[in-house]
Amino acid sequence: MTLLEWRDDFRIGIEEVDHEHRALIELINALHGALGADRPGDRVEAFLGEIYASISSHFALEEKVMRARRYDDLAVHKADHERLLDDLRDLMDEQAGGAILDEERFAQRLAQWFAGHFQTHDARLHRFLGS
Amino acid sequence: MNAFKRGLRAIFLRLEAVFEAVFGPRLNPITQLGTLGWFFFWIVVASGIYVYVFFDTGVTQAWESLERLSRDQWWLGGIMRSLHRYASDGLVIVVMLHAAREFAMDRMRGNRWFPWVTGIPLLWFLYACGITGYWLVWDQLAQFVAMATTEWLDSIGIFAEPIARNFLDSQRLSGRFFTLMAYIHIAVPLLMLLAMWVHIQRHAHARVNPHRALGIGTLVALVALSLVRPALSQAPADLDRVPFELGFDWFYLGVYPLLERVSGGTLWLLLVGGSVLLTLLPWLPPLRKAPAARVDLDNCNGCSRCFADCPFGAITMVRRTDGLAFEQEALVDPGMCMSCGICVGACPTATPFRRASDLSAGIELPDRSVAGLRDEVVAAAAKLTGEAKVIVFGCSHDANSAALADSSTAVVTMPCAGMLPPSFLDFVLSRRHADGVLISGCAEHDCYERLGDQWIEQRIGNQRDPNLRDRVPRSRVAVSWNNPSRRGTLREALAQFRVHLRDAAVAAAPSPQSSRAAWRAKLRGLAPPFRYSGQAAAYAAIAAVIGIFATWPAYTYLPRDHALLKLSFSHAGQPLKPCRRYTHEELTNTPFGERRATSCERGRWPVYVELDLDGKPLYRGTHEPAGLWNDGPSSVYARFEVPAGRHRLDARLRDGAAQTGFGYTGSQTVDLEPGENFVVDFRAAEGGFTFAPPAPAAPRRGAP
Repeated sequence: MTLLEWRDDFRIGIEEVDHEHRALIELINALHGALGADRPGDRVEAFLGEIYASISSHFALEEKVMRARRYDDLAVHKADHERLLDDLRDLMDEQAGGAILDEERFAQRLAQWFAGHFQTHDARLHRFLGS
Repeated sequence: MNAFKRGLRAIFLRLEAVFEAVFGPRLNPITQLGTLGWFFFWIVVASGIYVYVFFDTGVTQAWESLERLSRDQWWLGGIMRSLHRYASDGLVIVVMLHAAREFAMDRMRGNRWFPWVTGIPLLWFLYACGITGYWLVWDQLAQFVAMATTEWLDSIGIFAEPIARNFLDSQRLSGRFFTLMAYIHIAVPLLMLLAMWVHIQRHAHARVNPHRALGIGTLVALVALSLVRPALSQAPADLDRVPFELGFDWFYLGVYPLLERVSGGTLWLLLVGGSVLLTLLPWLPPLRKAPAARVDLDNCNGCSRCFADCPFGAITMVRRTDGLAFEQEALVDPGMCMSCGICVGACPTATPFRRASDLSAGIELPDRSVAGLRDEVVAAAAKLTGEAKVIVFGCSHDANSAALADSSTAVVTMPCAGMLPPSFLDFVLSRRHADGVLISGCAEHDCYERLGDQWIEQRIGNQRDPNLRDRVPRSRVAVSWNNPSRRGTLREALAQFRVHLRDAAVAAAPSPQSSRAAWRAKLRGLAPPFRYSGQAAAYAAIAAVIGIFATWPAYTYLPRDHALLKLSFSHAGQPLKPCRRYTHEELTNTPFGERRATSCERGRWPVYVELDLDGKPLYRGTHEPAGLWNDGPSSVYARFEVPAGRHRLDARLRDGAAQTGFGYTGSQTVDLEPGENFVVDFRAAEGGFTFAPPAPAAPRRGAP
């Protein structure tokens, strides 16, 4: 089952950013699939590390695009990026510390963040770029 | 060569440490010699523009206008004029130190050849500016500079007639040559600025301004020097008299006395040969370099952080080549890459939290992979024991961090500390691989790879992406920047950090400020009174060095009881064959447009000249005709220091086919005064040799 579906209204109108958004959604869905399967803990940990790296580099690209286009709400948007990365790091630490990950809750949290971020910050960026 | 370089390096490292104790790392003049060069340049430009407003380009007006400026307007014009001279001298000092230091620290080898090689023409421009500047004042020093420079230029042999003849005596002095100097003195600095801009092209974020406090201190020192010892002219130039002793600016004119010992040609050879040798220095011998950074497109989305951080401009962002939807990718120019790894430290994918099997960053050093770094950290950490375990991330130019390794200290070395991605600190501390992390690099604000220390500080301070996440306790992260001579300081910093970590282990929550700055060792520095008086002493010392050697020691051009005798003229020898009139028949056979009365073959006989002083030979010389077809005049220029007093001069000249005998002779008994400039000339139209005492002081016309 897929946790998060790409929707056309997630588009912000910049090809490379939209491309990475789609790739990230796939990665999150793959993680969700892995969590559902019977798996050893360190595999999840490594998977989280991969997600963390992918999201970090995606944000780096998105922030570059925002800077290049002199996006007026960069600070707020970037703060939301940092918030997600912090959340993710918390989860990674919990997982590494041996806590049993509540996979459903984690996957929901990630999906919620993305959906929320797409619908607020990215949507505002979309409007800014379109204007 | 290597022993010399090592010795020089040891001196600079000592000097740097001494100045750092007094000025601190931010103000250390030794680590910002290049920026001081720019600063001096701008002072020279600004003061030069001001002085130019009041300057008259005329043979007599030049000296007078400057004299007026120094006397009537000492409070501004005089200071400006002094700043113009002293900042130029300061420029020579910092430029020479800058070049010597870049050489000693090995910062011009291999791919860093560009600033070095482009710096060498800058030296020539610098000297051209200084020499023409001294010329313009038109005092006795200028007179010397004019004579010596033109004589020296004549030794190249490219001028049809010696340009030194322009300064033979006051009657021959033309204002045009002088105006030309003024143009050169304005044009060369413009060229120099262009060359300075080229000089720094391969340095990203090149520093061209010194720290503000250092700039202010330097300017105050120069102004003080200008008030204490204003730059003034020497006596006005008089080409009929020869100066005996000259206050001498050794910074710019230091090579001129050599011309009294070696020939002009030899000096040219020395300077041009020296410049060529300097130009080749980056490849002597070729640098063995680690392979350049490589981009891994599978992990690169074109975020351009490596591009922003590369200190050498080796990375460009180019159009995507692998068909993915991204716009750009990073491209490394192996001819510019120094393999420092700073790009790796900037890459968001270079995080040790990733799955080990997949761990490849978007940009990697082939000799030092991120995966290898991670494995080394994990393996080294596993061996640590004790209650305050520390992992030291060192660089290959620091104060030998490798020697710190012991049972509770692991050392992981990278080419540059700036290679360390901040997430490694997060990784080490959150996974409890160690209790603290110490980053050890070379001197602060003087990173061997230019920007490593700055990027690390900014990443930890949350001012630059990728930043060290706020969650990482700064009290467990230490930095220590030391040049290789300061091993004791690094050791002391580690010892203090360990004590601090033990205390922190008992302390409850980290202090609120600790998220801002990394922990620093509280090393003994000089107390403020010593520090400030030390700085004042350093400024005074540099001002004194400039002020003293700008005029002292005096250079003796002519001994006091001597006169200068010059033999100089330009005379065309006889044609090799006399011209022949065309016959009537020949003329009728020649097309109308090409008819001429006479047929002359090109080519002339050389001119042979002899000069005897009191019956003894003083000069013998054969002078070939000038011109590509040997049909120009032969030129003679020779000068002799002669004791003052009564002398008999006998001159003889031959200019034709004859091998013996002389077509022209002349004799005269002359009374030479000390310091007199006496010219023996030759004008065939006036019957041969003329012996000219200095003309009575006639009012001289100014330059056009």
